[in-house]
Amino acid sequence: MPSEYIIEMLHITKVFPGIIANDDITLQLRRGEIHALLGENGAGKSTLMSVLFGLYQPEGGEIRKNGEKVRIDDPNDATALGIGMVHQHFKLVDVFTVFDNIILGAETVGKMGFIKKKEARKKIEELSERYGLRVDLDAKVEDITVGMQQRVEILKMLYRDNEILIFDEPTAVLTPQEIDELMAMMKEFAAEGKSILFISHKLNEIMAVSDRVSVLRKGKYIGTVNTKDTNPQELSNMMVGRPVQLQVSKTPAKPGDVVLKVEDMSVASHIHKRNAVDHVSFEVRQGEIVCIAGIDGNGQTELIYGLSGLDKCTGKITLLGHDITKASIKARGEYMSHIPEDRHKHGLVLDFTLEQNMVLQSFQDPRFQQGGFIKPEAVRSYSEGLIEKFDVRSGQGPITRARSMSGGNQQKAIIARELDRDKPLIVAVQPTRGLDVGAIEFIHSQLVKERDEGKAILLVSLELEEVMSLSDRILVMYEGEIVGEFLQGQVTAEELGLYMAGAKRQGKEAK
Amino acid sequence: MEKGRLTQRDGFKTLVASLISIVIGLLAGAVVILIVGLINPSISLAGAIEGIKIVLFGVFSTGRNASGALSFGFNPVNMGNLFFRATPLILTGLSVAIANKTGLFNIGAPGQYLAGTCASLFLALSIPSSKMAPGLIWLIALLGGMIAGALWGSIPGMLKALLNMNEVIACIMTNWIAANLVTWIFDMSDLKNTAEGTKTGYIYKTSYNGVQTPKFGLDKIFRGSQINGGIIVAAILCVVMYIVIEKTTFGYELKACGANRHAAKYAGIHDKRDIILSMAIAGAMAGAAGSLYYLSGNTEFFWSTYQSLPSEGFTGIAVALLAVNNPVGTIFAGMFMSMLNISGMQLTYLTAYNEYITDVIIAVIVYLSAFSLIIRMLISGRKKIERSKVTGEPIVPAAAAAAPAPTADAAPAAQPAAGSPAKDKED
Repeated sequence: MPSEYIIEMLHITKVFPGIIANDDITLQLRRGEIHALLGENGAGKSTLMSVLFGLYQPEGGEIRKNGEKVRIDDPNDATALGIGMVHQHFKLVDVFTVFDNIILGAETVGKMGFIKKKEARKKIEELSERYGLRVDLDAKVEDITVGMQQRVEILKMLYRDNEILIFDEPTAVLTPQEIDELMAMMKEFAAEGKSILFISHKLNEIMAVSDRVSVLRKGKYIGTVNTKDTNPQELSNMMVGRPVQLQVSKTPAKPGDVVLKVEDMSVASHIHKRNAVDHVSFEVRQGEIVCIAGIDGNGQTELIYGLSGLDKCTGKITLLGHDITKASIKARGEYMSHIPEDRHKHGLVLDFTLEQNMVLQSFQDPRFQQGGFIKPEAVRSYSEGLIEKFDVRSGQGPITRARSMSGGNQQKAIIARELDRDKPLIVAVQPTRGLDVGAIEFIHSQLVKERDEGKAILLVSLELEEVMSLSDRILVMYEGEIVGEFLQGQVTAEELGLYMAGAKRQGKEAK
Repeated sequence: MEKGRLTQRDGFKTLVASLISIVIGLLAGAVVILIVGLINPSISLAGAIEGIKIVLFGVFSTGRNASGALSFGFNPVNMGNLFFRATPLILTGLSVAIANKTGLFNIGAPGQYLAGTCASLFLALSIPSSKMAPGLIWLIALLGGMIAGALWGSIPGMLKALLNMNEVIACIMTNWIAANLVTWIFDMSDLKNTAEGTKTGYIYKTSYNGVQTPKFGLDKIFRGSQINGGIIVAAILCVVMYIVIEKTTFGYELKACGANRHAAKYAGIHDKRDIILSMAIAGAMAGAAGSLYYLSGNTEFFWSTYQSLPSEGFTGIAVALLAVNNPVGTIFAGMFMSMLNISGMQLTYLTAYNEYITDVIIAVIVYLSAFSLIIRMLISGRKKIERSKVTGEPIVPAAAAAAPAPTADAAPAAQPAAGSPAKDKED
């Protein structure tokens, strides 16, 4: 008798040192449905999917396919069962071409041991045509955008004729347009009878695309609901375990003195010959959150690099009256907290412990060293304080390796470190990227609190929703220039979208 | 410290892993001796067993007694020579270990060793001992050797920091440049040993100028051996380096820079300067290795080195591996390597095994001994399986799942063994 469910994960338990990642979790996936898996960072979603994909062996529970018990010891077993996964961090060989990446591990080999490239290419081209998955088969993966890399991952699953598709936070790296395309594609797959597991903590996406939602919280199974019978508020309450405020509550800003003044700043691009940031001028005042909105890749990253000293820039930057255009990173750090865009590249030393990371910016501070010797007790108690205050969760507290922490908690650790430095200017680049509603609520409220204490906050965000709800003033960047400046409430999200896409711009150049 | 917790500590696991791998290495060496002995018609089974005894306890070998059987006991010559030969190995091991700790692979130790040797010999032989106290000359020569090693090491460091050139390639290049440069410098020099007519291609011993490493009475304990105070200097350097790397803000900076250059830069650390400094410090240690070996006063430098690089430099890599990059661990790892060396010589002297097969046996032992990382992984893996067997029962209260572990040293290694997919855990 064919089971109603194509995949069932029954009573799965997975333990890591110091943490139960999955505690008796049951997940049942129906044929042809889009099943969303919702949970905070560290709730155990990725772990559960890794168990299904054979990357981890559970300590308890069983997996069934079509009602029959199966063993999945490694990803090869998973592939043989028709399970495919798009990981949050793509698993592609950077120096291979797109084509090589797609067939890698599933090459059809002819008599003489040669790969039958023609057939493979034909199949991929058909798939790509059918689903509108535009890729350049001969480009190297390192040269293509993340959006295209994701399409490569999807093509990999389709090429292997997988019928169960796992998407692990697929939208975190995509632009709004790409997200829409992905959603449409997922619906199409489901309509053709493929079953989809969709991991996310973005409620609007889940509401838009899924049929059913299962919620995990702190490693435990909370429940499964039909999407049409629920609403975002109910879901977020289930996920966080308490009523969550989805809207940022804040009073109107009372801007004070100018803290940061940027005049005519340009930053050269490392990719093309033009300036990535092209003669930009703006100010950030005390007690206001200025947000730089724009689609990814329009110079926001380089603007912050120039501002923080990670890259050279021309023009003039004045911070609290000091000209810091040529100042060292360390000198700038005296007045500036910086929550970096790339938490793995800049934010953390992944092989260091959490406590070592907590003092990354301040280890020279007399609080933490005496005559060049680190004071381990001071570092420990300081980090313990921050861990508690910012609710940073990890397996072993201060001595946890940063690498083994979940992304959301890594981000919380960075935010804890940077906000605690208590500098007059806070530069935050996508501080909530990849975080769940509970963490976003917390970070937003922290930023608003800092603003109310008179800090100047420069926020870079790609999320329109965040821009609209958090900022007091919005600057729109398009192709390295600021093309629009608005006070909060002066502009609708739709209109902002037009500026971001370059369809509209104010006057000549914003001041 | 409660019993049982000790076994959970990282340092303890590392130590156990190193010891196990040494034992495995020695056993494998014994197997090789046995096989070679059985194949070789000139070696009987009894001879093979003698060979095994010597490999395991060669340091304590006192030759053969009147009845022709191997005798064992305290052998001051072997013991003293063990320390003497360990000195350069400890320091090149330290050099590689420091570089590894700061994210760099210093395969340039042979070149830095040569640079140190060259500078030390020049200083020790050129400053006339009639004008300056030999002890002072010795000190100047040692420091000069360390500085020369540091400068030589900083070349690949600079290429890495400023031009992002891979330090491994730069190190290999600078090794050969050093070999040929040193040969040329000595060829031009008037330090070639002409006093003893039987020798060609050798530089004077430093004792020719009255300069040699003080012995601190060690020669009284280990009579007849080449031991000198170099081993003490090496041990002190190891301890100092351990403190610098693990306890100071400077060491923190270097490690941060090595583990993630971008994050270090973001935090205002001078990443370029620190990479150069790491290599310079590593180079200074390898330089000190060369200095101390040739400043002993009883060693002679064969100046036509262009044919080969000093093996001490490469052995340093094995020493660092065995010591799992712990600066203090290199003291013991270096002594172990030196012990093998002594055992090998005993094997050649006392049995029918020739020096070539002795080298093969040593290589096998070194090779397997360097597997301590894998052993460590297995130890941790076994723990994991044990734990999972227990988890049939409810293990940890659920509330503890997300909370930080109660005490720091009670918790086992958070990170599953290197290379496991858990590295990518990201939820």
